[in-house]
Amino acid sequence: MKRIRISRCGAQLMGAQAPRRPICPHAAQRQDVAPHHHRIQLRWASSLMAAARKPNEIEIDPAEEAAEESSIDLSEALTASSTAKPPQPPPETLPSPHPSRALKSAKLAALRSRLSLPPRFPLQTLARTLVHPSADPNPHFNNGSMSILGANLLGYYTTEHLLCNYPRLPMSVVFAAQYAYIGPKALATIASEWGIEAAAEPGGEVDPGLLQFKRARSGDEDFPSALKEVKAPWKWNVTTTHKIVSSDEFGSTKARPDPQQLTGQPVPIEEAAQSFVRALIGSLYLHLGSPLVKRFYRDHFLSRHLDLNKLFDFRTPTRDLSRLCAREGFEAPVARLISETGRLSRHPVFVVGVYSGKDKLGEGSGSSLDEARIRAAAAALKGWYLYKPLEVTVPSSLEGEVDTSKWKPNMVDCGEVIV
Amino acid sequence: MPLSAIKTVAKAQNGVGAFILQCKRLDFHYSNWAGSSRGMNAFIRSQLPVFAKNNPQIEIRVSPRGNKHPVIIGHYINGKTKPICVRNMTPEGVREKTELLRDASGEKLKRVNKPVTSLNESVRGIWSPFHGAKIQI
Repeated sequence: MKRIRISRCGAQLMGAQAPRRPICPHAAQRQDVAPHHHRIQLRWASSLMAAARKPNEIEIDPAEEAAEESSIDLSEALTASSTAKPPQPPPETLPSPHPSRALKSAKLAALRSRLSLPPRFPLQTLARTLVHPSADPNPHFNNGSMSILGANLLGYYTTEHLLCNYPRLPMSVVFAAQYAYIGPKALATIASEWGIEAAAEPGGEVDPGLLQFKRARSGDEDFPSALKEVKAPWKWNVTTTHKIVSSDEFGSTKARPDPQQLTGQPVPIEEAAQSFVRALIGSLYLHLGSPLVKRFYRDHFLSRHLDLNKLFDFRTPTRDLSRLCAREGFEAPVARLISETGRLSRHPVFVVGVYSGKDKLGEGSGSSLDEARIRAAAAALKGWYLYKPLEVTVPSSLEGEVDTSKWKPNMVDCGEVIV
Repeated sequence: MPLSAIKTVAKAQNGVGAFILQCKRLDFHYSNWAGSSRGMNAFIRSQLPVFAKNNPQIEIRVSPRGNKHPVIIGHYINGKTKPICVRNMTPEGVREKTELLRDASGEKLKRVNKPVTSLNESVRGIWSPFHGAKIQI
């Protein structure tokens, strides 16, 4: 039998309805935690906030009245009135776990200490970074905003590391190196190496230590168009400069999708895992400040093994090398045979060096004279492009410092040769 | 385009920057009735809280499982699990097995023949017959 809820009839007597969930993950906590930060203290000291808090405190009454409604409601209301806290809606009705449940999750606590994060990084925030916009459309509870910040920070740190340490790197190799360090695949791999598990289906009753997102099943019709890989037709005006300025940091033809575009749409697990890693970086920056984020970035991202030597794919290295020598004012490169064996046998080996005047620029070996010459030219080009200054100060190392005498200007190269 | 780049993903080197413990979860199954889990029960009561405090990276679950031998199951980051039956063991033995599971990497046991495995190239390079001093015959 369904009855009319008295609370609904007498709503005009009770003032404004309290929000269903606290507006910020910390608001649930703040009610019993003493404010420690002076800015928070100021905010709580103002009468405006106190007035705003009042409806929360009278919220107990409707819970007691709702107790008549059904037996399930009764037990909940009893617990609510016994603890004298505002009643929480049943967890199944929430799109993602309530922030207060983060403190009870063993998975979250284990994840925090597995990543060696300090205890002052709150578990509620860690839980929020695990909620993808596809699971919870409310931007106060998903990681959309934090993942935008994190993506920008990751791009910034990686770019400055590459450009300051390897000033002569060609742009396409810079893009490929960025992709290798912080590309979508790399971030998804990093998330799995951190031991992130995904929830089968997002919801308020799920453990907050699991990655929450709406799963895309294979053959889904409504796969978000923002994530689809579309091979754009060649356009004369999509230049390297255009890629640097207007697309993402990996030189793809279109920019990364806005996280809020993906609200409520099914996404693959890789997308959700990437957004978690980005959001974690963003939230670390907000809670712990940039020095700790830089250390975290160095430990977890830059420490990964990447051989920049193997990213180059030359089409015509000999021509590039002669153009480079002409540009830099060196003598034209000449290939000379250094040694050889078995010229008339089945497996000849030639060792060829590329010389500019008396300087040997590079050396390569191959089973034919041409192969060895091309390898030697490629080795010479790699030697030029992979030049690394000995002492480097990256721009972010002086962030927020008053003393700028430590700054040493970095080398800026005029770029790769244009053939 | 005279120069294009090859897309790869940087490889992880656990322990070079950060170290991530590979064991992410330990399940302890015990029985209140069976005598074979006497040591396990004593371990859970006395030593497990200390172990959990010393190893906060590991999620620990304790659950009863009637009429069966006690077992510890380790879950690893690479997705594998490693169960160890601890029937009739002393609490000390159970602790040793727990530490074994904690320190395991989750990989299948392999025979390691080479003293060093590395992603980096050798600093000395590969020996070449075409370089160095000419040998006079």
